[in-house]
Amino acid sequence: MPLIRPKAAGAPASSPDPRTAPDVAALKAALQHGTPDARRAAARALAGVPEAAGLLAAALAGEEDIRVREAIFTGLAGLGTGECADLLLALLRSPDAGLRGGALDALAAMPARLPARLPALLRDDDPDVRLLACGLARVLASDEATALMCAVLEREAEPNVCAAAVDVLAELGEPQALPVLARCAARPGAPAFLVFATGIAMRRIRAASDRAGEAGA
Amino acid sequence: MAEAEPIRSGRRVLVIDDASLVRLYYRQLLEDDGFVVEEALNGLEALEALLVGPFDLLIVDVNMPRMDGLTFLRTLRRLTSAAAAIPALVTSTEAAAQDREAARAAGANFYLVKPLEPEVLTLHARLMCGVPA
Amino acid sequence: MNEDEFRRLCDFIYRRTGMVFTEARRYYVERRVTERRSATNTASFAAYFARLRRDLDGEVEQFINAFTVNETYFFREEHQLRCLSGDLLARRIEARPAGRPLRIWSVPCSTGEEPYSIAIWLLENWPMVDAFEIEIVGSDIDTRVIEAARAGHFGRRALMRLSEPLIAKYFEPEGPESWRIIAELRNSIDFTTVNLVDAAGMRAHGVFDVIFCRNVLIYFDDASRRIAAENLYDNLMPGGFLCLGHSESMSRISPLFDVCRYADAIVYQRPREPRHG
Ligand SMILES: C[S@@+](CC[C@H](N)C(=O)[O-])C[C@H]1O[C@@H](n2cnc3c(N)ncnc32)[C@H](O)[C@@H]1O
Repeated sequence: MPLIRPKAAGAPASSPDPRTAPDVAALKAALQHGTPDARRAAARALAGVPEAAGLLAAALAGEEDIRVREAIFTGLAGLGTGECADLLLALLRSPDAGLRGGALDALAAMPARLPARLPALLRDDDPDVRLLACGLARVLASDEATALMCAVLEREAEPNVCAAAVDVLAELGEPQALPVLARCAARPGAPAFLVFATGIAMRRIRAASDRAGEAGA
Repeated sequence: MAEAEPIRSGRRVLVIDDASLVRLYYRQLLEDDGFVVEEALNGLEALEALLVGPFDLLIVDVNMPRMDGLTFLRTLRRLTSAAAAIPALVTSTEAAAQDREAARAAGANFYLVKPLEPEVLTLHARLMCGVPA
Repeated sequence: MNEDEFRRLCDFIYRRTGMVFTEARRYYVERRVTERRSATNTASFAAYFARLRRDLDGEVEQFINAFTVNETYFFREEHQLRCLSGDLLARRIEARPAGRPLRIWSVPCSTGEEPYSIAIWLLENWPMVDAFEIEIVGSDIDTRVIEAARAGHFGRRALMRLSEPLIAKYFEPEGPESWRIIAELRNSIDFTTVNLVDAAGMRAHGVFDVIFCRNVLIYFDDASRRIAAENLYDNLMPGGFLCLGHSESMSRISPLFDVCRYADAIVYQRPREPRHG
């Protein structure tokens, strides 16, 4: 079997990279003006530099290549600082659906930063922001998420925001959400979809909890 | 309102939405109206589904993880396969003129604002699939 | 398990692991849940679901294991090997510089069944195998499995998918239920340790034509999955292919790759060109 040969000079793969401090200025220039490959490489290198978070986020606005965007979002999620979370939250207001989605994904990957920020976001003036914020509640523990989503349902007028909260409750809601869902469905003029969604959510919550006490789990 | 005559058109619809209750709602309405429904949770999954099945209509949400609806549509319209020509109905929570325009520019054929009343969904699905409404 | 229980479980599993189960696989999911319920002595679905959600005693990992058969064996997911020899390698040799070897990476390779399978499969099934130099690397984070892979001792279960002639050709019997893979194959595969989320360690392995990354990303959290996807992208040549496990999909992880459908498998490809959104 001469055809499959051992790797020539097999570099010990686990040997740590002799890491030199990255040249942030050069990386910044590459991030802004390089080819797509160079921009992506720069984004990946800057992902190890906490101070570069602002630089990375700023580069997103003008960035068209989805692979460079992805590297930046992954980098911000990996850094995971409060600053990164705030930079990402600002993008939820972007007119670009790609940036909103990328920011949401990155935020969902840094659950530790969300509990402190979600309550304010769920009360934002912009219903589009409130709606996106509901989805982020999924990364919280189910009792916390249930409480937040119930509060949304109790005060929210915008049916699409309610629907987003109901979708979260259908997935992880706890029994205390049942009366809140029932009230939401009974609102005068509730759209057909909301009535449908609350009905399913209530059934699923019951399915997951009816006999939960039985095994003492 | 008069019930639309159920026609088992067998037309295939791909529902692309990350909200599981939206997918279920559309599925039930469309299946009751004679469509065959498949689901994808984001734009990337939709591209994967399009490799496997032929579809007559795509119903596309805008805000989705991993790949949003508009990026999906731009990618779709650039494909060299027959899938590139499938009509797309965007259903979005955003009602502003600039959101409609962005969807149209990305390749949407029609735009509806959520939440949808049942007959609005089925009527548009029929029209866009060439099934008598 | 009723419809509502099934849907709720599916939502949870999707968020947590990226695995997707459609209605068509309900029976299959149900069997696994029943298995896990009896293993954990849980009386009801709801009680089991509560246990899973709280990840009591590492239940999430146990649950995933019930789906992936956390036991690796020769010629596992043979359709992917068919895809490798039938389609992927042909694409990779189309426009390659003469003299550069084809490089294939099995990461994670666990105790070596996967990279050895690739070698045996190509020797047996790829007509061009004599015309190219092929380099196969197997890597894993766990140094013990890498030691075992290098040593190459296997039991009956690992060999269950191999025919007697193949066993006779590529293995030496060591005992009634034990075989050792022949030295020629042991010496032809490079085994290393690597962590999928360590960019520098991954980069040190160079770039590959095809990477098999099966049944590991489902265990990762969101952040690690994304970093692993970025690393794997960097470890592929433009136009190179990535093969995942059967319940995994890149579509839940990252938009970096293009999805491709071949006769035997769906695989992911690093695009040749950068792409605009
Ligand atoms: C279920 S096995 C999969 C083996 C083989 N690919 C298959 O499908 O049969 C999972 C392997 O992933 C390895 N692993 C876990 N985390 C890893 C990481 N961060 N980097 C590399 N390997 C990892 C484990 O050591 C284990 O051997």
